[in-house]
Amino acid sequence: MSRRFRYVGRGLPRVEDDRLLRGRVSFLDDVRLPGMLHVAFVRSPLAHAELRRVDTAAAAQLDGVTAVVTGADLPGELEIVTGSSRPEAGEWRRPLLARDRVRYVGEPVAAVAACSRYVAEDACELVAVEYEPLEPVVDAERALEPDATLLHERHGSNNFAHVEFEHGDVDAAFARAAHVFRKRFHFGRTHAAPLEARGGAADWSGDLTFWSSTQMPFLVRSMIARLYRLPETGVRVIVPAVGGGFGLKVHLYVEEAILPFLSRLVAAPVKWAEDRYEHLAASGHSKEVLCDLELATTDDGSFLGLRGRFLGDGGAHQGHPWSSLIDPLCAAAMLPGVYEVDAVAYEVDAAATNKCPSTAYRGVGWTSGQAAREALIDDAARTLGLDPIELRLRNCLPDGEPSVSATGCRYDGGSYRASLRRIRELVDYEGFRERQLRLRGQGRFVGIGFSPFVEQGGWAAQIAADQGFPGSGYLDSVCVTVEPDGSVTLATGLQSNGQGHETTLAQIAADGLGVRPEDVRVVQGDTATGAYSTGSWGSRTAVIAGGSILRAADDVRAKLLEIAAAELEAAAGDLQVEDGLVSVRGSPDRALSVASVAAAAYAGRVPSGLEPSLTSTRSYDPPATYSNACIACVVEVDAETGRTTVERLVAVEDCGTVVNPLVVDGQVAGAVAQGVGAILYEGLPYDADGQFLAGSLGEFLYPTAPELPDVEVDHLATPSPVTEGGIKGMGEGGLIGAPAAVVNAVADALEPFGVAIDRTPLRPCDILALIDSASAAATPATP
Amino acid sequence: MAEPRLVQLAVDGRRRSGLAEPRLLLADFLRHELGLTGVHVACEQGGCGACLIRLDGRLALSCLVLAVQADGAAVETAEGLARNGELHPIQQAFRTKHGLQCGFCTPGLLLATRALLEADARPDEPTIRRHLSGNVCRCTGYTGIVAAVQEAARLVGEAAG
Repeated sequence: MSRRFRYVGRGLPRVEDDRLLRGRVSFLDDVRLPGMLHVAFVRSPLAHAELRRVDTAAAAQLDGVTAVVTGADLPGELEIVTGSSRPEAGEWRRPLLARDRVRYVGEPVAAVAACSRYVAEDACELVAVEYEPLEPVVDAERALEPDATLLHERHGSNNFAHVEFEHGDVDAAFARAAHVFRKRFHFGRTHAAPLEARGGAADWSGDLTFWSSTQMPFLVRSMIARLYRLPETGVRVIVPAVGGGFGLKVHLYVEEAILPFLSRLVAAPVKWAEDRYEHLAASGHSKEVLCDLELATTDDGSFLGLRGRFLGDGGAHQGHPWSSLIDPLCAAAMLPGVYEVDAVAYEVDAAATNKCPSTAYRGVGWTSGQAAREALIDDAARTLGLDPIELRLRNCLPDGEPSVSATGCRYDGGSYRASLRRIRELVDYEGFRERQLRLRGQGRFVGIGFSPFVEQGGWAAQIAADQGFPGSGYLDSVCVTVEPDGSVTLATGLQSNGQGHETTLAQIAADGLGVRPEDVRVVQGDTATGAYSTGSWGSRTAVIAGGSILRAADDVRAKLLEIAAAELEAAAGDLQVEDGLVSVRGSPDRALSVASVAAAAYAGRVPSGLEPSLTSTRSYDPPATYSNACIACVVEVDAETGRTTVERLVAVEDCGTVVNPLVVDGQVAGAVAQGVGAILYEGLPYDADGQFLAGSLGEFLYPTAPELPDVEVDHLATPSPVTEGGIKGMGEGGLIGAPAAVVNAVADALEPFGVAIDRTPLRPCDILALIDSASAAATPATP
Repeated sequence: MAEPRLVQLAVDGRRRSGLAEPRLLLADFLRHELGLTGVHVACEQGGCGACLIRLDGRLALSCLVLAVQADGAAVETAEGLARNGELHPIQQAFRTKHGLQCGFCTPGLLLATRALLEADARPDEPTIRRHLSGNVCRCTGYTGIVAAVQEAARLVGEAAG
């Protein structure tokens, strides 16, 4: 639905930057309350064990310690219950501290509240825990074997859920195929790893106040209220500045959920600020999915059918509240991607293993599915002797046309082919291929990889159904109020965690009302002043807040015009409002400021029968909308050291109506960089005993500035025909698409070695192993 | 628990003091004893640069220094960059070039940038990237940050005439 915009589309610098640049912002660990105690957790050193005895006596006697709590001290009903709108998923319960068994390294066994974090950690060391080791289940395939040790015995299986789907005659498609390409691809564990780790604080005296570093203040309120059987009005959630979220902060974790209990127990406010070891080992890991794909094609490479089996490694518990299906099921639901293919079948499993619970990370399972599918397509292109871009264009959906994929995804049209063609120009594809050949002659190996994709914007009821979660509903509202002086308050329960909502949402409200962005103040981060919303995740904020804001602004503007019409003695229909000035069309001298209209309203000087309040709360549940993009990556791989150098990262992005290009480019660049990190640098290894081996920044390697080139972002614009303002939503896409581009670039570089890439990450040690195994396979064994 | 000791510092030109147990990290002392919000702690391992300060004029990771070791030192933080309420040109450049998103890494990057520009008024891109290698940013992919540092060099150069 098109609208005329004045401020939407401008790259305005961000409102929130000033205070962040001055260092004058409170993040979670800056919450300081009189009498506040500090919380630390005793965490399991073993992956899988019976919990025999937890002795807290020595810890409790330490000076400065107020309380030491174990699972046995918690009321039985204090459990997190995770379900899903999928009936296959069932209902899984988890106590806030381990009760009879620990299931991953880092699982909380006891909690200490003390006068400082230092003393709380001292006390943790004095807690004596007796463990009886059990067989660790570290591998998702092993977990589903019938004789595997069960993690959750009462469920009788290590499978959180099994889902099947089929559309079209898949067997027939494969039967008539000229070629069938198969690929097993293990997408490795990743970590969102925001720079600010998790944290929370609770002060429960009378009502409960809960501080959380979260992307979803109102859902946290709902979950805490339900857990403690409190009315939602008895719980206030405050969110200080959030130092990055990327999906990791769309969960309620046990370490947060226990804080109200501890506050009640010690009769004081308590705070837990996570350290980096806890964060790496025991917050949430993401995206580990074993993908088995089959692609049926005609002789000339036209796609006939796709089959996929997606086995997610869910870790020891499901990420609450979204379940462990968000990786493998989302991977499966996007199996067709941007391609025309009628026959598609998938199976999904989510295995429980003795590893850190799986949680959301930007792009959830779309990342792993994209990487597996695009790697398979490159394999097919190599075998068929076709150019990888040509093969993609041959099978790509047409531009601009809304269509429904075989998996039921309702695409609202995009620049699927145009983005491929555009990126081919931007990377000077022919020139690159010449250079590649030349360098190979010199023993240097450069490669290029492409990754076209759609991105699920504005996660709401319809798109959730598209992605395999039918029956999910979401209520997201905003409240727009014109104040007595004509300034505007925009109250929302959506939550910026770095994106810049105070700027972008103000731009939308300014256009909706006809005021200037600087007249709009965005209020977020507090359930006492916000409007109910399920939060900022799933590339949804611009779409959902945008639609809600435009609808609420329509209401308020209509009322402003009615009041102004009376003052100006004109018909409301003849009035326009822009930059805070209401004027009669064609007679610019007959005008009134929004401020004076507001003053009239607040003085009750309104046409009789008109209710004067200048406020509206509206919600928006958008139809399914999908941005699209294509990412290209150029690398050089040093075959001696296994080191990959990224030369270029190029993104052609189409998210429909752009609210703020500065912010959009920043989101793309950041997400693409995370994609490079996930493939080339960051690993989350476990050994055979389930020991976690990446507990510090010495092992978990964030990419830093020298490892990355500038991310080049180019834009195409196909506004959505179905959403308010044509906004499609973006933010996750870079991390959906970039990993596949990096994988394909490395594979292309290593083509002379006959390397088939079947896993991530691709750190130097992994690359050398791939080259070694390819050359071992190519060379007959010598006696 | 050892007895706390008095630690006296000059923080951004102001005399500040507080009590610190010998094991207390300087980062925690600045944040929790002196109430500075412009020093952030993200790893306590010297691996991310969020707690970067200047200690007697040299860049230092305040999570790798004990507060008692810094007794008597001059500490500069990002909170001291603005003058008379006006953003420093480096801060302005980070804003106009979208060199920050969540802002958690930003104070450390501002101080690293200032040290770079003092040593090299016109750094090229590889120099900028190498110099910032101790500062992790999870949001921007560094594209906006590098542009901001280049812009800052221009603004600082203009201001110096």
